[in-house]
Amino acid sequence: MPRVTRRRFLQSSGAGVAAAQTGGIAGILATGQAPAYAQQTTLHWLRWNDFVPASDQLLKTKIAPQCEKDLGIKLNIEGINANDIQARITSSVQSGTGPDIILGLSNWPQLYADSVVDVSDVTEEIGKAQGGHWDLFKIVAHDGKKWLGVPWTIVAGLLTNRKSWFAEAGYPEDKFPDTWDDYRAAGKKLKAAGHPFGQTAGHTFGDAPSFWYPFLWSFGGREVADDKKTVALNSKETIESVKYAVAFWKECCDEGGLSWDDSSNNRAFLAGTISSTNNGASIYIESKRKPDSYQTDKGKPMKDDIFHTRLPKGPAGQFIYPTPFTHMVMGYSKNQKAAKDVLRWASSKPIFGEWFTSQQGFCTGPTKDWEKDPVWSADPIMLPFKTVGEISNRYAGHAGPSGRAAAEGVTKYVITDMYAKAIQGMAPEEAVKWAHGELSKIYA
Amino acid sequence: MATFEAVTPRAYAGTPPRGPITRLLEDERWLASVLLMPTIVLLGLFIAYPFVKGVLLAVTDTKVGIPGSFVGFANFEKLWHDDIFRVAVYNTFLYTFVTTIFKLVLGLWLALLLNRHFHGKAFVRAFILLPFIIPTVLSTFAWKWMFDPTFSVINWLLFHLGLITGRINWLGDPDLAIISVMVVNVWRGVPFYAISLLAGLQTISPELHEAAAIDGARAWQRFRHVTWPLLLPVTMVVVLFSVIQTFADFQLVYVLTGGGPANHTHLFATYAYQIGVGTGLLSEGAAVSLAIFPVLLLVVIIQLVYIRRVETV
Amino acid sequence: MIEGARWRRWVFFHIPLTLFIVGLLFPFYWMIVTSVRPDNELYRPWNAANYTPFWTLRPTLQHVTDLLTETLFSTWMMNTMLIATVSTVISLICGLFAGYALSRLKFPFAGSIGTGIFITYLVPQTLLFIPLADIIRNFHLGDSPWALILTYPTFLIPFCTWLMMGYFKSIPKELEECARIDGAPRWKAMAYIIFPIAIPGILSAGIFAFTLSWNEFIYALVFLSSPEQKTVPVGVTSELVRGDVFYWGELMAGALLGSIPVAFVYSFFVEHYVSGITGSVKG
Repeated sequence: MPRVTRRRFLQSSGAGVAAAQTGGIAGILATGQAPAYAQQTTLHWLRWNDFVPASDQLLKTKIAPQCEKDLGIKLNIEGINANDIQARITSSVQSGTGPDIILGLSNWPQLYADSVVDVSDVTEEIGKAQGGHWDLFKIVAHDGKKWLGVPWTIVAGLLTNRKSWFAEAGYPEDKFPDTWDDYRAAGKKLKAAGHPFGQTAGHTFGDAPSFWYPFLWSFGGREVADDKKTVALNSKETIESVKYAVAFWKECCDEGGLSWDDSSNNRAFLAGTISSTNNGASIYIESKRKPDSYQTDKGKPMKDDIFHTRLPKGPAGQFIYPTPFTHMVMGYSKNQKAAKDVLRWASSKPIFGEWFTSQQGFCTGPTKDWEKDPVWSADPIMLPFKTVGEISNRYAGHAGPSGRAAAEGVTKYVITDMYAKAIQGMAPEEAVKWAHGELSKIYA
Repeated sequence: MATFEAVTPRAYAGTPPRGPITRLLEDERWLASVLLMPTIVLLGLFIAYPFVKGVLLAVTDTKVGIPGSFVGFANFEKLWHDDIFRVAVYNTFLYTFVTTIFKLVLGLWLALLLNRHFHGKAFVRAFILLPFIIPTVLSTFAWKWMFDPTFSVINWLLFHLGLITGRINWLGDPDLAIISVMVVNVWRGVPFYAISLLAGLQTISPELHEAAAIDGARAWQRFRHVTWPLLLPVTMVVVLFSVIQTFADFQLVYVLTGGGPANHTHLFATYAYQIGVGTGLLSEGAAVSLAIFPVLLLVVIIQLVYIRRVETV
Repeated sequence: MIEGARWRRWVFFHIPLTLFIVGLLFPFYWMIVTSVRPDNELYRPWNAANYTPFWTLRPTLQHVTDLLTETLFSTWMMNTMLIATVSTVISLICGLFAGYALSRLKFPFAGSIGTGIFITYLVPQTLLFIPLADIIRNFHLGDSPWALILTYPTFLIPFCTWLMMGYFKSIPKELEECARIDGAPRWKAMAYIIFPIAIPGILSAGIFAFTLSWNEFIYALVFLSSPEQKTVPVGVTSELVRGDVFYWGELMAGALLGSIPVAFVYSFFVEHYVSGITGSVKG
């Protein structure tokens, strides 16, 4: 009967799969073979498909074999679309099996705090050896008592701007408008000249929060009050910021931005339809990768017309909302010690250094020492990204802890939608009230 | 659905000797059990059992990695007050209703056209199915590119035809966004409707049409009184399955808009996914998914009743 | 036939048909052009003077080559082929058996079982995929094609059953009775007489099942992990979307190449598909 054959197939393939994944005694016994030497562990490491393909190549072709030599641990590195990592984490945690190390973005370590292993020993060791971790990681990967993950990098968003167009509008590179009022004035001129700013107000996990959260903060708005519990979104400052945003949007921005995802502003900038956008270094790096494909309307390579600056200052200060990347060792993993060893080894100066160089400055290092890395002197355009770690001192959920409730606020796009609704015509007070209501339900 | 045939077993003279298994399978009930066993096992294991677990999820407060405790209907109550949930409900109904009507009308029209003889008929019939064949995720990416405000070929076309002066924000304007999503769904579904209805049309013998024509009926009257009634059984089946699939649609909206802008295109499935996976609130995500079920059941029951009435006519 | 003047034929037939064909197939034309368009042309905004949406003067096969060499596309194609074929076979067998039992045999609870099978079709995948992950683990099916081969039939079987039931109802009972009078056991009458008549229905259910399996995304995303195990929809979207850059040329090439096998299967069977649906609903 066909079903019996299938069952037999299942059993044999099951053993094979189990052995491959755990490699431990159980797996060896299942295959009925004598162990060569019990140390051959295989670790499943789940990451995002790196924006810089060269780094993924490096990991697979150099770093993984190196790991096998140095530690005797075989690395099975898998890359998926960043948007899909959470689906995998969810199903892995719920079914109790899956990758041993998972790369978490944002404050996911806090979100999955109950499912990860305490890695304080590894993290403290690296911190001590490399000048200490940035405060941002204490917010997203530390629960007050222990480290929930081993910090890896920070990918930050800065303003990517067109040199020639800003110069034409009267703002040469060294006189970049660095307050919202100045930036808005520049935007008005640029939009009139057919080169608007471009920002997303859509449902995208990267670019939307990384613009709107600092926007909110720079006007003095915040999600949670200083007592770390009460929702404090509905305030004079927030309403001010929403009113400003509506005007700013109409005067300066490409109105298609309401539907943009994380890649739309990249495309728009490289196609020459916008003059300034908040983004990671991906636009510049992409333009460097294929200088012939991306040219300005004057025929020059786009890469020579780009420079980076911080988001403008508001009445309450100047802020940034970067994306921290932290490696989590999963609680269900049967190779927790091996996982920690691998992370300790991979974060060490020689190994991480090699990987970091391949990134060409796309990301910032997790500890203070990496600010001194020679990669920052390689290309002056990338220099503003050097200090991202220093200036990152807040995250979603401010001034409360950046925990589950904050993550829910991000996933439900409460802040982004607050601005999007107002831009689409809702009265600012209404939009703020709505957002405040949503947050209250979340923090209840 | 199930027919109760009264087949009376009779002893026939001269039947060859039969082994024990064959005799067993002579009994309708045993044969039925054997035949149904694979289906029941597969569906029981991979739907019924997870369904029960899903229901249990929805009545607890489980989050990722944190087993929850029983909370009764608390999740559903929270959903009742959830603005975004209401929008998702409204959207799902609107989306299903409007696209089904369009798919039916356009599919029928196309089927009528394809029912004629013309050069390249087989060729056209095969190629028409392409939108249905190509994996949804991938064709939706193509549409995303076509709708992109910076690169849209549709905008270019409309602009050069003089129909618009500025740019249309297909996916950014809340009303246009849901229309765009519907357009892609209709695009994908029309071929399926067309081919299935074409099959139905081909069972209607041309003599009926001729007889009606001889009696003086015009084209539209022939359609209304001859074609449509005979086509109704196929139509109802196709509509039923299409409604079920459209109601639970996920990939299309997920890729095209992610539920935005500002939640204006969220459907049940995308919202359930966003809550359950994005936020780790598994029980609430399960509650959203489960909320679809009774509604869908109602829609389906209504259609089934209608089908049964049509069938018995 | 449309009687009357030639203009009527044009208005009521040729023009609508052309509009349909253009509307349905334009995106494919678009995908073809995009997949051979060089990168520097891909990034031209629609209001640029040299925006040529419908053709490119410098077609390149670079995207297709990149797709086939830099990604595991051919592996994904084979995986998807295997999974779709085996799931379809399983669903057809189950649907055939169940359809026969429910429509031609008399036994207790027949109505409830039929309804039950149908109801499972209503359960949404977004509810099931988390509990299913657990079951997949218990059977050690994770990261293997079997995880999908056994779960895909869950949404294929109900439709196949329904289709086959309709088909069987249209076959007269007398056929079986004749065979049994002649001494054939019941199961032989079923297998040798009834099933062959239902072949068009089987083919059309099979085509539909194949298409749906090829198309599936959520389960494939969640139950498979190694790049070598992925299916075409999951592989293409995860490998060709990196961070915030979409590799459009490769994506479109992948979409087109990924549809070819199904289109191929269809081209062989579309005539049968058509007559299959017919037969199943005649009853």
